[in-house]
Amino acid sequence: MEALLFTQGLNVVFEALILAMLVLGLAVVMGLLNVLNIAHGEFIMIGAYAAYIVQRAGLPYLLAIPAAALVCGVIGLVVERCLIRPLHYEPFETLLATWGLGLLLRKCVELGFGRGYRSVDIPIGGSVSLFGESYPTYRLVLMLVAVLVLASLFVWYRRAPTGARIRAMVGNPVLAEAVGIRTRELARNTFITGTALAGVAGVMVAPLTPVEPFMGLTFIVNSFFALVVGGMGTVSGLFAGATIIGGLQSVLSAAVSPTSAYIAMLLISILFLWQRPRGLFPRP
Amino acid sequence: MPTSIKMTRRDLVRAAGAAALAVGAPTIIRPARAADALKIGVLVADSGPAALFGPAQRAAAELGAATINAKGGILGRQVEIIFADAGASPAEVAKSAVKLMLSDKVEMIFGSHDSAVRQGVENVVKGKIPYVYTPLFEGDDCSSNVYFLGEVPEQELQKTLPKMVELAKGKTFYLVGNDYVWPRTTNDKAKKYIADLGGTVVAEDYYPLGAPNKFENTVAKIKSAKPAIVLQTLVGGDNVNFNRTFADFNLSDDILRLSCLLEENTLIGIGKDASKNLYSSLGYFADLDLPENKAFIGELTKKHGDKAPQQCTISKGLYDAFVFAAAVTTKSKSLAAKDFAAAAEGVQFDTPSGSMTMTHRHTSKNIFLARCEGTKFAVIDTFAAVPTQQSCT
Amino acid sequence: MAYFLVRSILILAFLILIPPLLGEFWAYQLGLYFIYGLAALGVGLTWGQAGILPLGQGMFVAIAAYLTAHGLLAFGSSPIAYLALPAASVIVAVLAFAFAALVFRGRFEQGPSFSLMTLALTLAAFQVANGWSSVTGGFNGLRNIPGLPGLDGFLDLYYLIAILLGLSIAAVDYLVHAPIGVLWRAIADNERRLAFLGYDVAVIKAVAFAVASGLAGLAGALYAPQQNLVTPDLAGFAFSGDLVIFAAVGGRATVLGPVIGAVVVGVLSAELRDRFPWWEIGIALFFIVVVLRLPGGLMTLFAPLQRFSFARTTIRARSAAPGKPRIATSLSVAFEDVRVRVGDVTILDGLSVRTGEEAVLCVIGPNGAGKTSTLNVMTGMLPRRGGRIVIDGADVLRPEPAIVANKGVARKFQTPSVFPKLTIDENLAVALWAGRWRGFDLLRLGLFGWTSPLLEEMRGRFQFLHDGTRPASALSHGERQILELTMALITEPRMLLLDEPCAGLSHEETAAVIDAIQWARGELNLRIIIIEHDMELVRRLADRVVVLHQGRFLADGSVEEVQCNPEVRAVYVGGSR
Repeated sequence: MEALLFTQGLNVVFEALILAMLVLGLAVVMGLLNVLNIAHGEFIMIGAYAAYIVQRAGLPYLLAIPAAALVCGVIGLVVERCLIRPLHYEPFETLLATWGLGLLLRKCVELGFGRGYRSVDIPIGGSVSLFGESYPTYRLVLMLVAVLVLASLFVWYRRAPTGARIRAMVGNPVLAEAVGIRTRELARNTFITGTALAGVAGVMVAPLTPVEPFMGLTFIVNSFFALVVGGMGTVSGLFAGATIIGGLQSVLSAAVSPTSAYIAMLLISILFLWQRPRGLFPRP
Repeated sequence: MPTSIKMTRRDLVRAAGAAALAVGAPTIIRPARAADALKIGVLVADSGPAALFGPAQRAAAELGAATINAKGGILGRQVEIIFADAGASPAEVAKSAVKLMLSDKVEMIFGSHDSAVRQGVENVVKGKIPYVYTPLFEGDDCSSNVYFLGEVPEQELQKTLPKMVELAKGKTFYLVGNDYVWPRTTNDKAKKYIADLGGTVVAEDYYPLGAPNKFENTVAKIKSAKPAIVLQTLVGGDNVNFNRTFADFNLSDDILRLSCLLEENTLIGIGKDASKNLYSSLGYFADLDLPENKAFIGELTKKHGDKAPQQCTISKGLYDAFVFAAAVTTKSKSLAAKDFAAAAEGVQFDTPSGSMTMTHRHTSKNIFLARCEGTKFAVIDTFAAVPTQQSCT
Repeated sequence: MAYFLVRSILILAFLILIPPLLGEFWAYQLGLYFIYGLAALGVGLTWGQAGILPLGQGMFVAIAAYLTAHGLLAFGSSPIAYLALPAASVIVAVLAFAFAALVFRGRFEQGPSFSLMTLALTLAAFQVANGWSSVTGGFNGLRNIPGLPGLDGFLDLYYLIAILLGLSIAAVDYLVHAPIGVLWRAIADNERRLAFLGYDVAVIKAVAFAVASGLAGLAGALYAPQQNLVTPDLAGFAFSGDLVIFAAVGGRATVLGPVIGAVVVGVLSAELRDRFPWWEIGIALFFIVVVLRLPGGLMTLFAPLQRFSFARTTIRARSAAPGKPRIATSLSVAFEDVRVRVGDVTILDGLSVRTGEEAVLCVIGPNGAGKTSTLNVMTGMLPRRGGRIVIDGADVLRPEPAIVANKGVARKFQTPSVFPKLTIDENLAVALWAGRWRGFDLLRLGLFGWTSPLLEEMRGRFQFLHDGTRPASALSHGERQILELTMALITEPRMLLLDEPCAGLSHEETAAVIDAIQWARGELNLRIIIIEHDMELVRRLADRVVVLHQGRFLADGSVEEVQCNPEVRAVYVGGSR
């Protein structure tokens, strides 16, 4: 029984961390730029396909990370130029435009790769024994990476000048422009960072899930919930949201039943959104 | 008692060969001979979650039509297919069915899609023309003038479960499925068979449909419960997801898995690393080592080359529908509901997976138990003419 | 009114003439898309008018469809079955109203949280519909639902759907152009301003959501007999998303747009679906082009036809607005040891101050003294951490803008806060209606003719107010200051809070504004609290001056007294003015 509890505990942490990684790109784009990028899941999907191609080519899996970041970054660049900027980063307008974009990206990938499932082999196989219980190595590595990424992001956003500039731009774009921050470039780069991060998340989850053109749709809804429940534009918010949405569902799923857990997660999200409409840790 | 109008196996092989010519003709020239062509509406998944079957469904249907046409068509008329997308909502597909009947004047409808869509189509067809539903499903539908070619849970389980118990040397089952009618019905039937075998069900988990499911929890519970067999009724991406998670947690060496809907595409998604000790029970596998199947696949390869879409039980059923309709009409000489229904009872027809017999508007057929070898299926047992135990009149 | 009737009758006639022209299949197909159009009509109403994007309207369609299905199954061929339609629609409207009123209560939020709540609801509803087989028939759906008694075939039902759609369009058209419609657009524009005029914003928003959901309910109620089958996919995310797409493509800000969007997208998809395997790429590109090039949706293309729309430019007979019950005395307010903290920053640190006999009280103090925060905490825009606020002798436990406004407090903000997308007349009308409308007044077009002596006086003083059809966004900064001041005054408050009322005004404007304030004060027996930096202005207006410093009371008295006060001088040393 303790063994089961221990594994389930790790599962809860794993789900929260993985969700945080999946949300990260969206958190950057939506939390900082107020762009409701509904095509976020499609960038994750493209990242996963990049991982598939890299693995099929017999290249080391780590190469998939820069590859996915590059592909998704370039698509992000084009999208920013052709869709997001012409719509002046307006939340509702970009929501609609990226809905069309998501459909387009799904069909384009389908055109190239077909509709069938692709499988990406686990790059680090085997399991590690922790206190007598074995847990898959790749999942442990993912958890470690997620923690490192989130921690360094936290530090970077607080310390680095770019972080300060983004905060300034978000707080007051006109003033930021006046003090010499090139908001247009900064917004573009922030957007590209968001899409590239989605691609990297895709590489991370590709070995765990079926890789197919519609896989992004399964990520997007939970990502939005995690982001809004947690609070946009802060690292603590991202973490809190992922823990509540991902972790809670995992706990309830183990304790009650997966369907009830899912419904309960939705209802609890409604409660949080009601009582804390700006999220648990909103941007001040 | 089946009558003797069935095509022999050799006939089928020959017919399929002759069909190649007809299939080669581009579909655009259809109107030229449309005068007395018998139009059949075929509902395939061009969009939506099942769209990965779409191309294979189209290919199977086209080959079915060509095969029948090469043998003189249906009631002496050449068959012409009009495809419609069944991947949309039930309302939208029902609308397509109305259009097929009112505008295109189809005289039969064949469909491969989910049960919600089927009920939508049944509502508008209202038994006016024969409607042949081809994929596996949960059974318990007796709408008039509707004919079911797919596997029902009884067929997938009754012979297969004893064999699995034998292979696993254990009788404890863990059931995991998606939370909707097909998995729940299948598991209800399974529990009966398991009880008959003296086995026990240690737990059941149902995962919401269309939700971002993760399976670590269930896998951890399975690890702790140590059943002999995990019976799966998961569909699509969840099926892939569960099986990969299962293998990641190192359970595939000790616990057998039987999936009730594991076809070729899903297995590719699961991948070679996660398919050890994974079994599938279905009425058709593309690699079946039968001459009928070799001919079927051969013709598809001849036409589509390397790009031939991967066949599976879901898509191949549409080929069967043409063979079935031809067999029934040979006997009924009419498409009128009453004549067709009367002739359908007991009709026997040969398909790429062997001979089938329609009884009570469901189809008894061969069921194959296959073990996954990498991303291929190896049939380890064949159960001939498994009855459906459905009782539509 | 005549235009409105003509337009509605034309639409209805067009809908009824379709089947003879296009045939039975089109009657069936369009019947389905009209049902979707009904639900989209509601999305357009909440989103395009009130600025609230609902992502889960499919849930209301589904609930009403299941309810109607059970009604039809229970009553079968009895004419009572027809009652299922309005009943289902009303039930979901009431549910929607209760949900929205609860959620909107006591907060101003145009962010995505409400949208996501509706999304979560519909996702949960899908699972419930899927699992609750005994009631919903589960995944495969509730089948064999009888049609409506007396209606045979696709055509009969088409006419019913067409007539109900025509009537619904007319009803929404009316609502949008009625006073309630102006309030909805005012909410989308500047929700806080509306609350500060004393409106119960939560209820007004909830009404919009309820009307929209009632339309979704009507759609669901017609869906059940049209399809004879109700499946959970109505509550699925895809369908709710489609409704939003219909509204966006057609034009969410217009009445007809969402319906046209539903028909265009529906027919386009249906026609392309079976012909081109990659039709979805076409739909995606079409959609992106619409969003980029036609932000107003397809209805932009029909802009030249707008003059046929139900225009309110027709001069309406002026009528006197009902008077407000007036209490002769001016309003008093007292702060007792009020504390406000935001995060780590102390904003008010035990502020105690009260109004006295004076009519005009000026609050001064250096930057960060807590002047504006004092007004904010009094009107419920900042949470209080301690102390008491007494308005008109009564303790205000939970100040909220509307509550405070209804006690007779009007506020003019530092940066002018008007409804930029509304016209001058609409801005003024919204302010004039505040506290004066009763019962179903907000549905009466006659309200647009309301005026009051005070409003006419202001119009006389400020000529630009006559140019009623100009949008407020076209006004200069100074004009907007004056418009907001006028709006505050015509609510006939007992206390007026002004935050630097003359900032950004020219000399002439400043003089005119001061003159108007002086006049209003005499006319209304008004107490005015002004936050001001400009000592010249303070000298001209103030009966009494209160000086704040670092969130505390520092000194008070006449202008001369505080100017001589050593403590005040110490605070201002090195500072400005």
